[in-house]
Amino acid sequence: MLKIDHLTKRYGDTVAVNDLDFEVRPGVVTGFLGPNGSGKSTTMRIILGLDRPTSGRATINGQTYDQLRAPLREVGALLDAKALDPKRSARNHLRALALANRIPRSRVDEVLEFVGIASVANKKVGGFSLGMSQRLGIAGALLGDPQILLFDEPVNGLDPEGIRWIRDFFRSLAKEGRTVFVSSHLMSEMAVSADEIIVIGRGKFIRSGTVDDLTADAKGTVFVRAADPHALADVLRGAGAEVEGTDDEALSVAGMSAPEIGNAAFAAGIAVHELTPQRASLEDVFMDLTADALEYGHHDAEAS
Amino acid sequence: MNSTPNLVDTTRSEWLKFRSVRASLIGVLTFFVLTVGLAVLVSFVIKTNWNHRDPARQLVFDPVTTSLVGVFFGQFAAGVMGARFITSEYASGGIRTSLAAVPQRWRLSLSKVIVLLVVFSVLSEIATFLAFSVGQVIYKSGHLPTGSLSNSTDLRAVVFAGVYLVLLTLIGYALGLLLRTTATTISVFVAVLFIVPIIMNFLPSNWQDHVNKFLPSQMGAAMMSPDLTQQAFSWGASALLLTLYTAVLLVVGTVVLTRRDA
Repeated sequence: MLKIDHLTKRYGDTVAVNDLDFEVRPGVVTGFLGPNGSGKSTTMRIILGLDRPTSGRATINGQTYDQLRAPLREVGALLDAKALDPKRSARNHLRALALANRIPRSRVDEVLEFVGIASVANKKVGGFSLGMSQRLGIAGALLGDPQILLFDEPVNGLDPEGIRWIRDFFRSLAKEGRTVFVSSHLMSEMAVSADEIIVIGRGKFIRSGTVDDLTADAKGTVFVRAADPHALADVLRGAGAEVEGTDDEALSVAGMSAPEIGNAAFAAGIAVHELTPQRASLEDVFMDLTADALEYGHHDAEAS
Repeated sequence: MNSTPNLVDTTRSEWLKFRSVRASLIGVLTFFVLTVGLAVLVSFVIKTNWNHRDPARQLVFDPVTTSLVGVFFGQFAAGVMGARFITSEYASGGIRTSLAAVPQRWRLSLSKVIVLLVVFSVLSEIATFLAFSVGQVIYKSGHLPTGSLSNSTDLRAVVFAGVYLVLLTLIGYALGLLLRTTATTISVFVAVLFIVPIIMNFLPSNWQDHVNKFLPSQMGAAMMSPDLTQQAFSWGASALLLTLYTAVLLVVGTVVLTRRDA
């Protein structure tokens, strides 16, 4: 169980992570979604004990990362695929990690085979493409056969085939009962690869749930055509709805359901010609949820 | 897979890291060329010009120190290798992978120290014994005075020339821990060993007598010289004090490592 417990991280005056508090369940792929600079990478680094939280903590089965004696056997992570010594071979890179965590040497060849880079295992990793480096990073994450896996923006720079491979791979890890925690700034990616999503913005928790949960209670609008749109707009505003006129004398109504609008129009004696609920797209939901965060984000050029 | 890894495991991991990059091999070769190669060159030049030497200088000729002169060049190769053992990880970002694998940071640092200590103890002693022996062969062939390993003072000078190199390797590593970038670390290392002594030359000479003996290079000279110079600490005191410098830097560097965000 991966638990984020009232986690806060400040860098000087900047608050990168602001009182985040959530749990990541095993058996599903959990997406960690937020715009760039919203604190996803900082949270990941704190989970791995690389950065020290200002307050709160992140725990793995009740222990903070630096209490783990053989961390790679409990948590596998891929933060930055290019963050390794370019002059070392892929095999030696993994062997050094295996030695430090007392993982059998045979496991190195297993994971190299699994991610499909066994043929270049003795080549220096500096010459690897981003896709190959990502695969090596995944090999490193899997090395200790951990129950918890963290991936920071894993699809960045991958080709479509690689993206599909990685999605299927996350699903299979989750199906094996592992905890899979994947960050992304792309809602569309999370929609297809994650079962549950945690949305943050400006370091703050915004909301969490399944993809359906997130879209269901997002502000949907209703498209309305009426005989007298101006009169109907006044009626609906009076009932507390947000009404915007469209170019061709139609209305876009938020805050009321289609039946409520129909009833209100009937009561006011205005003929309705069309009444169409518009379901919010995932992108709309995401933009809506993180709008505040983005506005601020443009002002301070803070890195994630 | 169910046993707990310990210092031995991290040290084996660091040893693999050390020997699995070609830069280490190049570094070791450079170290030998400077420490042994330059000593041989200097010994050869001395032998060739011996008969033109002023008799007073012939009288004070020190066959031990002159054969070990390469140590003062080899120390830069050693220091750079010590520094790069950590700064190259900061440069590539590999430090984060290392720390994720070994979150007990003091243990990671201790393992690196053990690897450098063992590797450079062996390399440095081989290099200084080789430089000394080849130097004496050259001197002997020119009928110059020679030193001998059966003389305990000469033996001590050769052994402690190697000790000096090991300590400087570790100082390079400790500075790397503190400064994190290779360029800054090497600049500071060179400044301490090379530039500070030059600046000291501009001090009044009675100050110099009191200050110079605290410089690592002066301590090195005392450690590898059979004769005691008046303005220096004894070889034993120098070795102790330089070991103390090294230990303090290592402790401070490691404490900083454990406190800092990576």
